[in-house]
Amino acid sequence: MSDKTEVNLSGVKESKGVWLVKVPKYLSQQWDKATEKGEVGKITIGKKQGKTEVRFSLNAELCALGAVGEKDGSLQVPRDHPFTMHTVGGQTMAVFSQSDTDGISLEGTVVHRAECRPVVNDNYMKLKKLQIKESAKPQRLSQQLERAVTTVFKPVANHDFNVDYEKKKKSEGKMVRAERQVVLDMLFSAFEKHQYYNIKDLVDITRQPVTYLKEIMREIGTYNSKGAHKSTWELKPEYRHYQSAEEEEEMETT
Amino acid sequence: MTSLGSSSSSTTEYIVRVPKNTSKKYNIMAFNAGDRVSCSTWTQARMERDMSARRIYGEEETPEGAAGSEFGKKQREEARRKKFGIVTREFKAEDQPWILKVNGKAGKRFKGLKKGGVTENASYYIFTQCPDGAFEAFPVHGWYNFTPQAKHRTLTAEEAEEEWGRRNKVVNHFSIMLQRRLREQERGEDEEDEGEKSGKKKKKGGGARGGDLRIHDLEDELEMSSDDSDSSMGEDGESKTKAKKDTGKGKAKKKKRKSNESEALEDSDDGDYEGLEVDYMSDESSSDEEPEKGKPSKGEDLPKGIDEASESEEESEEEKQNDEEAKEEEEEEEGKKTPVQMEKKKKKDSSGESDSSDDSDIEGETASALFMKKRTPPKRGGGRGSAGSSRTGSRPGTPSIDSASTSNTLRAAASKLEQGKRQTQGPATDSPAAKRLKMETSSQSPVPSGKSTPQPPSGKSTPSSSDVQLTEEAVRRYLIRKPMTTKDLLKKFQTKRTGLSSEQTVNVLAQILKRLNPERKNVNDKMHFYLTE
Repeated sequence: MSDKTEVNLSGVKESKGVWLVKVPKYLSQQWDKATEKGEVGKITIGKKQGKTEVRFSLNAELCALGAVGEKDGSLQVPRDHPFTMHTVGGQTMAVFSQSDTDGISLEGTVVHRAECRPVVNDNYMKLKKLQIKESAKPQRLSQQLERAVTTVFKPVANHDFNVDYEKKKKSEGKMVRAERQVVLDMLFSAFEKHQYYNIKDLVDITRQPVTYLKEIMREIGTYNSKGAHKSTWELKPEYRHYQSAEEEEEMETT
Repeated sequence: MTSLGSSSSSTTEYIVRVPKNTSKKYNIMAFNAGDRVSCSTWTQARMERDMSARRIYGEEETPEGAAGSEFGKKQREEARRKKFGIVTREFKAEDQPWILKVNGKAGKRFKGLKKGGVTENASYYIFTQCPDGAFEAFPVHGWYNFTPQAKHRTLTAEEAEEEWGRRNKVVNHFSIMLQRRLREQERGEDEEDEGEKSGKKKKKGGGARGGDLRIHDLEDELEMSSDDSDSSMGEDGESKTKAKKDTGKGKAKKKKRKSNESEALEDSDDGDYEGLEVDYMSDESSSDEEPEKGKPSKGEDLPKGIDEASESEEESEEEKQNDEEAKEEEEEEEGKKTPVQMEKKKKKDSSGESDSSDDSDIEGETASALFMKKRTPPKRGGGRGSAGSSRTGSRPGTPSIDSASTSNTLRAAASKLEQGKRQTQGPATDSPAAKRLKMETSSQSPVPSGKSTPQPPSGKSTPSSSDVQLTEEAVRRYLIRKPMTTKDLLKKFQTKRTGLSSEQTVNVLAQILKRLNPERKNVNDKMHFYLTE
């Protein structure tokens, strides 16, 4: 994404102060249901006997704990949420935003921290009870079945895929020895792509019987029994002329 | 915005909006309180993801295609991983830490690590006030804790541990990093000179550290450096742990050497082992001891031998011979079964458990003649002490298998040297058993030795009943090897060991010298004799 993006420091320059508010999950869920305009509620900031009081009250239509529009009368999300405000203390907290178009920018510094708490009433308690029940449900469930499931595995004389495999084998037929030169050509072109091959892979590629192929390989190649590329065949040095990748690139550019 | 007028309270209402369609993702950049970061002072800032963890995840070094690649390697690797159930975590660029550089190259650097679990149970929102007075709430996408990164040099974990161990001694803490910096400089300069320099630096360091006891260690080290293999100083002279090990080793060796030397110098307490009670089962213990002690001092001796090639060899060999002779003499005198211990002294590389001194004679001397390099430590007086105590009275006549084998192997050489070197009592017989028996009998009773043996051209067999004899052969050997003064020669044939009085020794020696007619050379104002073969 962004490599070394210059951070837009306009936010801090203006000393924009923001509030960091911790909001309960259910409330944020309700907020997600808000309309396009995005209005979710109102904040009232008041001074009551010298103390600053902040309250948030949720919009009426968002109080329903169901889909919007559906008046589910059973449960209502509480409406009033007083904020508990804290100062930031010594800690500096800044807010930076990341966007695909504009890059990274510093939006501002946090001046107050707040927690959004609902007013505790019966309604809230019911809501909480519901939530607890939900979360207490185990993710996995063992369930006893009355009848055995008979739809999945049936005994079969020969499995489908097995049948197909045998048919394929039959159709391909036995591998016939091709001309030596032809096989050599195939091998060389294969070794151009990769350096090390397993004998099985070579058989696959060339469609030649193993003994014949081994014979040819013994002629032009060596077998690695140890080392990094174990049990693989590779061409003898005189037959190969690999170039390293860089050299190839250079050759291409020049 | 409505305001309700009230006497004691004034409230203002603001609308809260949660914008839906922002492409911007908001994150928190949290700093530590103690760092006192003030964002307003920043003039310029750059931020990027720290992708250094990517290499750990994507380590596919095998070239794709052409040279060096295998057909179907990837699939095979994947299949293998699945088989073993190796689950590699994806490298998510989103979760990588940030690197924040403030105020350009010279400014501060911060690393921001993502804090987990922020959005799990509660959501954070950023409330900003818009110009129109309403609040806008943005959800916080991620929380990053930014910590300043040290630009100054720090100690590595090993070094830190080391320093921790020395915290009580070190007073001047500033010197710690200084030393490290200097060390790093040297490392860059010259690899070879490293050892010397670090030695010097250590000395300096030793001085600089108030109250540090390094100076003594260093002295030991310097002393030992000539003895120890040079690699120990040169390789990693910097790391103090290594130095400590070296000093430890050096000290141990020094102690050993000292103890060895002291024990070797202090002449055998012949009567010490007379009344001691001995286990018949104690063989193993002493044999265990012997090899152990043999090994460290062997190690000590070998490099020494390499460094100061001929001189030390000769010396130590002569010493060894002296010891041999001394022990042989002891046996005769004591009439103890100290052949065993002498045996052990001689045949450290082979077994430790041979009994016959006869064999030991030949073998020892053949060994000395043939295997010049194998310096079986003659200085190991300590071994002798313990061996002696446990050995005296141990089974006299039982020929151990080891001695037989060694005697067999060396018999060819032994037979050659028998003539020249045979100083033993008893007739010359080939069978080891017979030899041994003879030795037993002879050792049991101090029998006048050697005259009956077919003496070699050397002829001059002294009337001594010991195995160490002041023969022409012996003198010749010494003189061939190294120019010696008369004093030295006398030292070699100590009266205790040859059984002659000092006057007799002098006379005999004089006669021998007359006969040999060695060449003379003046070294350090002293007349040295020597022979050239």
